[in-house]
Amino acid sequence: MSRFELYSPEGIRIDGRRWNELRQFHCQTNTHPNASDGSSYVRQGNSEVICLVKGPMDTTYGSSSTKQLPDSPVLSISINHPAFATMERKKRPRNDKRLTELSIILKRCFLKTIVLHNFARSLIEVTVTVLSFDGGLLATCCNAITLALIDAGISLYDYVSAVTVGLYDQTALLDLNSLEEIDLSFITIGVVGDSDKLNLILCEDRLPLDKLERLISLGIEGCHRLKGLMNDTVRQVGADLLSKKQ
Amino acid sequence: MDIITITQPRQAHTAMNASVSDDDDVEMGDMQENMDINMNIDIDGSRAKAEKDIVVPGEMITDDPSWMRGHGTYFLSEKTYSAKAGTILRVNKLLSVIPFKGRYSPETGDHVVGRIVEVSNKRWKVNIGAEHDAILMLGAVNLPGGVLRRKSEADELQMRAILKEGDLLNAEVQSLFQDGSASLHTRSLKYGKLRNGVFVLVPSNLIIRAKNHAHDLPGGVSIILGVNGYCWIYKTKLNQHTSTGVEQSKLEAAIKSSVGGYKPGAGTVSITSLEEQSSWDIYSDKNDAISNSIKETISRYKNCLLALSHCNISINETRLAKAYEISLGYGDVNSLVNYDTQQYIGDDLINSEKMRGSE
Repeated sequence: MSRFELYSPEGIRIDGRRWNELRQFHCQTNTHPNASDGSSYVRQGNSEVICLVKGPMDTTYGSSSTKQLPDSPVLSISINHPAFATMERKKRPRNDKRLTELSIILKRCFLKTIVLHNFARSLIEVTVTVLSFDGGLLATCCNAITLALIDAGISLYDYVSAVTVGLYDQTALLDLNSLEEIDLSFITIGVVGDSDKLNLILCEDRLPLDKLERLISLGIEGCHRLKGLMNDTVRQVGADLLSKKQ
Repeated sequence: MDIITITQPRQAHTAMNASVSDDDDVEMGDMQENMDINMNIDIDGSRAKAEKDIVVPGEMITDDPSWMRGHGTYFLSEKTYSAKAGTILRVNKLLSVIPFKGRYSPETGDHVVGRIVEVSNKRWKVNIGAEHDAILMLGAVNLPGGVLRRKSEADELQMRAILKEGDLLNAEVQSLFQDGSASLHTRSLKYGKLRNGVFVLVPSNLIIRAKNHAHDLPGGVSIILGVNGYCWIYKTKLNQHTSTGVEQSKLEAAIKSSVGGYKPGAGTVSITSLEEQSSWDIYSDKNDAISNSIKETISRYKNCLLALSHCNISINETRLAKAYEISLGYGDVNSLVNYDTQQYIGDDLINSEKMRGSE
């Protein structure tokens, strides 16, 4: 069992949140207007991530040579997890298996989200950089990519918002930080827009099957709230741009 | 199931989100409150979005299947949804969403600035900042000398003498291919290779489409505001008639030496003498002599353009000229690279337009 009291009898978690409370969520779009077509910055609690999207562009402009596909774009997603992002400074190998796996999961998720037939023979290059890590890596990356793709003007069927949900004894906990993530078994889920459709689900631990439904339903609610927050930002940025049109 | 969130305090935006409580920044509520924003406007019975409304991906535009679906939309079970964040545009029965931001998508007749990236079989590939590279066919350029004839194999072999990799040119979009990539032409004296100036990149969504995208600005400087956001600020070309014969022949000699003996169209008679005069310098690599004061004016215009782009202000020639005027009050050209100064210039411009009443 953990050294910490992850969930007190009064219903307070280690960082003072309730079981159904999201961490502070902050997002920005168009943070790197000169370096990319679309960019975003997402902060969920102490997890911070920036995402740059280049494209859609000709496949010849990519950083690595890719074969073009006749009726859909090539989507490349890479995650940078620099040594300074975690609490203990740890050098990661160049081809971290885990990060590669996460980027494949994200790629699968967004290939279902992007309106593919609009971008034949082109390349969409997504780069995610973790500035600081405090749990929910996949979820934060997913939210950042959604915002950056929207900012880049790439056609999406809907938002994808993601969050982690963990299980403490009988209680489902929303949006875990890294301390909780170490000790609890959790799942990451990504929801399509305001629907109940899941576009992304990742479970790396053992979970009792009868609790899964409860976790997912809490996660979906959390995702809907995050989508609302992201939506507000996108609209605000858009309204600001419109106000400066002639 | 309730979800608790804590968001940053926000002013002015509260009208949209009525659920922000007054004294503290804690928003405790359920999902219904956020749904308020997504409420659709009721138009003749069916739920539909009005024109100029902001839509986001996944938002329903209309459930009336009689509308035609244009760019930036998709269709699912009799309903039209938006695929992009932008504003709705209705043309007759066609619904489309114009994204706030995004890559430039070429349209026939657009005046664009581009850079040659590849010389290949009878064509140049031109980067115009669009999804795909544009194509400039050998048959769509003017030969030096202004001759009109079929391009021969000799011309094909000497394509690099006309335009080579890295050259900047301005051109017009002649037609579009099936996949949305553009075919360009430079068959006019106002198009062709660019020199005597500086290249500036701004987001393409900031350029206001106009009848004319090449302008002469005060200070002996001209600008091409490419619709694709690629801009070129250069020394205003002297009127052809004022240039002396000596200068002309000098230029001619320089070009002859630079292209290594290849003289396409040399010795043939062109249609007009004006074309004859101008033709020789259109593919030159050499800049004219530019005085320091002109160079400084060009840099100032460049910084003004970047200031407008920094503030996300849509750009046309009047606004740029105004920004230039304002920038004179902020001192040296060097000081304009400062983001604060750029912001001031942007704010001043918006304020001055408000005071005059927008045109």
